[in-house]
Amino acid sequence: MASLELSDIRKSYGATAVLDGVSLTMEAREFIAFLGPSGSGKSTLLRIIAGLETLDGGEVRLDGRRIDQVPPGDRGVAMVFQHYALYPHMSVRENMAFGLRNVGVPRDEIERRVADAARVLEIEVHLDKKPGQMSGGQRQRVAIGRAIVKHPKLFLLDEPLSNLDAALRMRTRIELAQIRSRVDAAFIMVTHDQAEAMTLADRIVVMNDRKIQQVGPPMEIYSRPANTFVARFVGSPAMTLAPVELVPDDGLYARVRLGDGAEIETRVPRSELPAGGTLQIGLRPESVAVAANGAATTQAKVELVERLGERTLVYARLSDNRAITAEDEGYSRVNVGDTVGLRIDGAAAHLFDAEERGYHAEARPE
Amino acid sequence: MAAEASRSRWSPLTLLAILLAAAVMLAPLIWTLLLSLKENEALIGNSGAALSPPYTLENYRSILQGNQVFRWLVNSIIVSGGTTIGVLALCSLAGFGFARLDFPFRRTLFIFVLLGLAIPEQAVILPQHQLFADLRLHNSYPGLILPGLAGPFGVFFMTQYMRAIPKELDEAAMLDGASRFTLFWKVLLPLTMPAQATLGVFTFLASWNAYWWPLISATRSDMYTLTVGLAAAQMNYAQTSGLGFLMAQAVFASIPIFIVYVLFQKQIVRAMAGTAVR
Repeated sequence: MASLELSDIRKSYGATAVLDGVSLTMEAREFIAFLGPSGSGKSTLLRIIAGLETLDGGEVRLDGRRIDQVPPGDRGVAMVFQHYALYPHMSVRENMAFGLRNVGVPRDEIERRVADAARVLEIEVHLDKKPGQMSGGQRQRVAIGRAIVKHPKLFLLDEPLSNLDAALRMRTRIELAQIRSRVDAAFIMVTHDQAEAMTLADRIVVMNDRKIQQVGPPMEIYSRPANTFVARFVGSPAMTLAPVELVPDDGLYARVRLGDGAEIETRVPRSELPAGGTLQIGLRPESVAVAANGAATTQAKVELVERLGERTLVYARLSDNRAITAEDEGYSRVNVGDTVGLRIDGAAAHLFDAEERGYHAEARPE
Repeated sequence: MAAEASRSRWSPLTLLAILLAAAVMLAPLIWTLLLSLKENEALIGNSGAALSPPYTLENYRSILQGNQVFRWLVNSIIVSGGTTIGVLALCSLAGFGFARLDFPFRRTLFIFVLLGLAIPEQAVILPQHQLFADLRLHNSYPGLILPGLAGPFGVFFMTQYMRAIPKELDEAAMLDGASRFTLFWKVLLPLTMPAQATLGVFTFLASWNAYWWPLISATRSDMYTLTVGLAAAQMNYAQTSGLGFLMAQAVFASIPIFIVYVLFQKQIVRAMAGTAVR
């Protein structure tokens, strides 16, 4: 049964539209990440679901019940705020109990739920401390605990990891995944960090420019981006996009020519492409390898070398002055200023039409 | 440790200047205290006699043995306490309204309140007097308390303080099912305690030391506040029972304020240093 249904959500602030007809259906117990740049509307959408923003049009339903006119506290959702928003004058225990008291949960039931959550989150020893006496990571757990005790149908997480340092973020990410497996509820997380979205979510909703750009499982978003925005936004470093010409022949798959004349045999079915119009090719760094001249598809001049340890990223320019990002092994001998051969894996190439819609190699059989 | 370290940084010259300033401040207070401890007769010829013993508590005994000072003290406590409680309640609610609620003409109304800061008490004293006369509120506690409740500064102060509290807390409380009143009472109000303490102390002190309005409104001596009563007693200097007794009254009158200072030192210093609003 569908847990959350958003239909045709619209929202503007004055003359500025923030969400323009957003629809989404979410399964029970699903974990969805809203991924997008600042100003894409992802936080506004989360706040509309929470009831912290009103909507100008559309409907929000949770377990079949329409909730967009229901006060936030009665919606059956719980939220973890970016800056935690713990009540500074209350102890951890009181912070967690506050919401339950407001809705009249019996005292012993409150105590039981707080104790349970504290045990799961390993914050039992901190129950009588004030938030100000705790570290960022501990406060984050309290914020999650405050949400858990309410037994919500839906958890809303607003950039929950963005305030933590890198090591703690990694650990909390794992813990969040564990909590998720223990709690019988759906999760929506807003993030601009694609690693968080990729690792935690069952499905990612990529948002930009007031609209949903693509919805799908993480690997589908990565390997079959719906348009150039998704292609560029997901994946680090970003996908190389370069204009290409379609080489006319009778082959099943599209054969394209780069600006410098190099030809690439893709696995994109020629029949799917629109007739006429310009095309762009999309190449992930891992599908462009530094290669000996014999095996190379084309040549490029190296502008920057990033040695990451297990691999090396090579930022280079083709002879027609297009930027391209390639990958080399960890111990790369490439240096800035070198001209290197690049082998482009056409099977992993993507094509985008004039409307920036994406075309991909036929899906691999599972 | 830190205090010692900073003290040692003071140069002898600074220390001397501070001591001198403190002495100048303290001298009249000590002089008052010494005079209050002398027999009235001993001071008739020469008030300098206060500098040498014998000292006595006779004047204080006279105060406690039926004199209107006691009544004035009670009046002052009721008026200052009532004003303080009223100002805190009204300013907190108004601050919550201006900082957190959305209603038509909010900005205009706030500017209107701020304009109140620019209007001197003297400018409105006649209509205020007339109004209270018409309402037959002169010579009553409401008559002494009500004008003090209209405090634009307090409203401004509490509004600014509440604005500085992150709005995420309101949102968290809304998701926690809190009503507006619960949000105000259980979340925001406790967080404004430092501001409440500062505003409370200042209001109490200002009300305790208020002279002009009580002088106008309270015309019956049993409704005098301490300031008005003592001033009245001192104006009749020729007929008073003496300098020592007068000074004992003054010392007696400052005891409550002294207690307030001792209890709320921290808040007063913080307010003076301007760090009360984060």
